[in-house]
Amino acid sequence: MGKKCLDYVNDLNDYIDGQIDSDLYQEIENHLKQCENCRIMVDTLKKTVSLCRENKELKLPSLLEKKLNDVVKKHWQKKFEE
Amino acid sequence: MNERELVKRAKAGDFNAFTTLVNDNKNRIYSLAIKMTGNAEDAEDIVQETFLRVIDNIDRFREESSFGTWLYSIALNQTRALLAKQKQTDLKPIEEYLPTQTAENLHEKSIPGFFEWKDPHKELEDEELKKIIDKTIDSLPLKYKEAFLLRYIEELPIKEVAKIINESVASTKSRVLRARLAIREQLSKVFEERYGKKMFRLR
Repeated sequence: MGKKCLDYVNDLNDYIDGQIDSDLYQEIENHLKQCENCRIMVDTLKKTVSLCRENKELKLPSLLEKKLNDVVKKHWQKKFEE
Repeated sequence: MNERELVKRAKAGDFNAFTTLVNDNKNRIYSLAIKMTGNAEDAEDIVQETFLRVIDNIDRFREESSFGTWLYSIALNQTRALLAKQKQTDLKPIEEYLPTQTAENLHEKSIPGFFEWKDPHKELEDEELKKIIDKTIDSLPLKYKEAFLLRYIEELPIKEVAKIINESVASTKSRVLRARLAIREQLSKVFEERYGKKMFRLR
C-alpha cells in the first residue's frame, strides 16, 4: 500500500457498502486495480461482515420465553391494574 | 396491526398489544445481548430488564424514533450498566490497520495479515469458525462492538445507529470502520496461525 491507500482508508466502509458518490467510487476502483493489498483489504473486509452475519439469528430459549412472559405480565399488572 | 398502532394500544394499557411487541422483538434483543455480553445468562437479564423498563416508560415514549430504535437504546443502556465494571481498552487508530512498509518492500507480497481468504468454510469446521467469530466480536471494546453489531448484524442505517448510541454520524462511522478493521485483522491472524498462508492464498 502506498501513500494513496491512507487517503482512502476512511471511506472503505462507504465504498464497500455502496454509499459513496460516484467520483470517489471510481477513484477507489482505479486505485484497487493497481494495489493488491487494498484489493485484499476490501475483499477480506467484505468477508468479515458476511462471516459475522452467519451467526446472526439466535432464538430466546423456550424456558426463558416462559419466564419472560411471566415477569412481564406481573410488571404490567402492577403498573396498569393496581 | 402495524407497530405504531400496537404502541398506541399498549400505551393505553392493552396488554395483548404489548405482548405482540414483546414477541416481535425479543429474539432480536436476545441476539444482540448475547453478542454484546458473550453469555446467555447476562443476555437473559438484559432482555428481561429491557422489557420491564419499556413498561415503566412506555407512556413517555414520544415516538420520535421507531419502537425498535427505542428498544435498542434501552437494551444498550442495560448492557452498558452490566458491563460498566469491565475494563475497556481502545482500538488502534484507523491508519494503523494498514500494513506498514517502506518504499523498498512496497511490492512485497507477504505482509502479515495480508493474504486472500479463500473460503474459510472449506478450511474450518463450521462450529470452530462460529466460535472464532463469536470470540473475535466479543473481544471488541464495548463502544465499537455496539456500533458494529447495530450496523452490520442488525443492519440499521448509520444514522439510526448514531441515534441509538447517541453519537455523531462521523464518530459512529469511525467506530464501525475501526471495529470492522479490528475484526478483520483478528480473523486474519487466526486463519494464518491455524491453517497457514497457503490455504488462504489465491495464488
